[in-house]
Amino acid sequence: MTDPTLTPQGNAAQDLAPSRRRPLLLRRAPMEAIAVTVIALGFLMLFQPFALVLYTYSLVTLLVGTFMFMIVSKFPE
Amino acid sequence: MSPAKSTSATARSVTTAHSVVEPSSRSKRIAATLVIVYAVVTMIPLVWIFLTSIKSPPDSISYPPKILFTPSIEGYCNLFTTRTRQTPEYIASLPEPEGVCDAVTRERNMVIAGPSNFLPRFANSLIIAFGSTFLAVGLGTLAAYGFSRFKVPLADDLLFFILSTRMMPPIAVAIPIYLMYRQLGLSDTALGMMLLYTAVNVSLAVWLLKGFIDEIPREYEEAAMIDGYSRLQAFRKVVLPQATTGIAATAIFCLIFAWNEYAFASLLTSGSAQTAPPFIPTIIGEGGQDWPAVAAGTTIFLVPILVFTILLRKQLLRGITFGAVRK
Amino acid sequence: MTISNHSLADKAAEAAARATPERLVGRVRALSDRAIAWLFIAPTIVLLLAINIFPLFWAIYLSFTNYRANRPNAEVKHVGLGNYSRVLNDPDIWASMQTTAHFVFWTIVLQTVIGFTLAYLIDRKFRGHAFWTTLILIPMMLSPAVVGNFWRFLYEPQIGLFAYAISFLTGIPTSEIQMLGSVNLAPWAIIIVDTWMWTPYVMLICLAGLRSIPDYIYEAAEVDRASNWRQFWSITVPMALPFIMLAVLFRGIENFKMFDMVNLLTGGGPGSTTEVASITLKRDAFEAWATGRSSAFAIVLFVAVFGLANIYVKALNRVKQR
Repeated sequence: MTDPTLTPQGNAAQDLAPSRRRPLLLRRAPMEAIAVTVIALGFLMLFQPFALVLYTYSLVTLLVGTFMFMIVSKFPE
Repeated sequence: MSPAKSTSATARSVTTAHSVVEPSSRSKRIAATLVIVYAVVTMIPLVWIFLTSIKSPPDSISYPPKILFTPSIEGYCNLFTTRTRQTPEYIASLPEPEGVCDAVTRERNMVIAGPSNFLPRFANSLIIAFGSTFLAVGLGTLAAYGFSRFKVPLADDLLFFILSTRMMPPIAVAIPIYLMYRQLGLSDTALGMMLLYTAVNVSLAVWLLKGFIDEIPREYEEAAMIDGYSRLQAFRKVVLPQATTGIAATAIFCLIFAWNEYAFASLLTSGSAQTAPPFIPTIIGEGGQDWPAVAAGTTIFLVPILVFTILLRKQLLRGITFGAVRK
Repeated sequence: MTISNHSLADKAAEAAARATPERLVGRVRALSDRAIAWLFIAPTIVLLLAINIFPLFWAIYLSFTNYRANRPNAEVKHVGLGNYSRVLNDPDIWASMQTTAHFVFWTIVLQTVIGFTLAYLIDRKFRGHAFWTTLILIPMMLSPAVVGNFWRFLYEPQIGLFAYAISFLTGIPTSEIQMLGSVNLAPWAIIIVDTWMWTPYVMLICLAGLRSIPDYIYEAAEVDRASNWRQFWSITVPMALPFIMLAVLFRGIENFKMFDMVNLLTGGGPGSTTEVASITLKRDAFEAWATGRSSAFAIVLFVAVFGLANIYVKALNRVKQR
């Protein structure tokens, strides 16, 4: 699942200004994309039929992704 | 829809009619054929429910499935009654049958023993669905107005919290609700189900109604308040009348959810407060499911929704996307 | 009108009486506005706290205990993370997750493909398309439980219409079309019903996506002599993508927690071939009465849905901006 925030149209124009001021790790769009990726990864781990250990750690991954999403969605654009 | 929007829409459709992007008539014909084929195929199960409901039990389980048959009222009779098997001698000794159902039942060597549970279950569905819709829309209208017109701290988080409650898996919610209702004595009561459905529906109601109220210009109320109305009067006399369509559409969405709900109903009700969805699958005759009776119950249960769907088709998209897509 | 005149007069009097009337009136109004805001919002929040949030926290508490709802008087012991470790190491629950994954994956693929195709066809705006669209929408408004229950009849191998139609079209004898009884076919039986029911949903959202594409883009492409194929892949699909994502996410959430239709169609059987997560949870909680352990399982499902819901709301807001 690719995150649509990464598509160029939105970012290029709007984020040019804040990118000079804020470091990457405190900007919303890229961090949200990472959080979404972590949640998606958690789902893959929950659903995959290959290794029980991945399933075991899916909950932790999902929790991390969700908390991260909730925090970074408060960041300014 | 605002007048400005509708004019732009007509303007656009005028340009469409003459533009190069208008689909060719051949592609239109192919599209129409495919869509109609899909629509017809998709309707077959529903038509079959209705046909089964007016079949006699032997016709309903014949092989191959019968398309031509003599209609029978037996399914509906069986839906509303309970019957006991009797000897032919006993039945012959009875007085003349009263009504059609009596006669139909006797032909199968049975007599009507009493009314079935279908009517009380159907009544439960009505009471719970309408009660919870009323509550959810009432609370939802107030909350939506609050969110729409005032600066509420953490509004976005509250709104997300409200929406996310609707997305919880019903079985996961049912476990603690089951324990809580047992403590409070709300198990298997219409009030308990009504409160539960209200809580689930209020989230949809707030989201939809906030969209509708956002569309009513603030200037209307402000003008009324300059005229001396208080905030509450402005809400009652200016906003509510403007929002009627939105409120009605929201109400139907809430009604349909409460009407169709099965997971909570099957886990939290078993007797006096059971609604129709968990009841209909339990209709059995001698030697298995009484399919014409099930089909009859299903038909009666689905007809109101069919009507609402047709009434609601314009607002459908808005409701099912939590108001994200208007049109 | 008399009321308004009266209060107007009052205000005029008030204004005359005070030195800084405007600011004061403004402040009183602002204060009462805030009171009204909370008065309006509070009942909803209280209801949700009572019926949704309090039970959720209760479930979290229970998930750390060995509580059993059928033995309310037994001593409740705290077991720490024991329940979670059991749920997350249980091969049966893991298997039910894969059953869920199979169901979610195929329903989404089928519904997206069929739904988008239908939307694309309806967007040709042939005569009478509104009528046929309404007809197509009907299944998704019906009760999945009640209609799912009736599909059991359609799936009957001898007397059912579905088996008969398939055998009529393919020549396979009806006795071999055990949609609900066969281990291989049962997962597809629930996928077919779900697809029948919810393809209209995806179609409707895709249609909104297609209609949101302004004509001038196609006109420009036409001027550039872009082929229809090219236009489809470089205009239609990307422009409709946010809408497709919305539909996929919503169907994903809904089918991840699917219970009613599957419970009535197969009840998880035959064996456990269609035992999706919600069915396992229901068996654990309301048949085995392992309340503590099933609460832990419920929390796992809840976290998963909550994660998806976050993404869903983000997708909603993106579509809203269009």
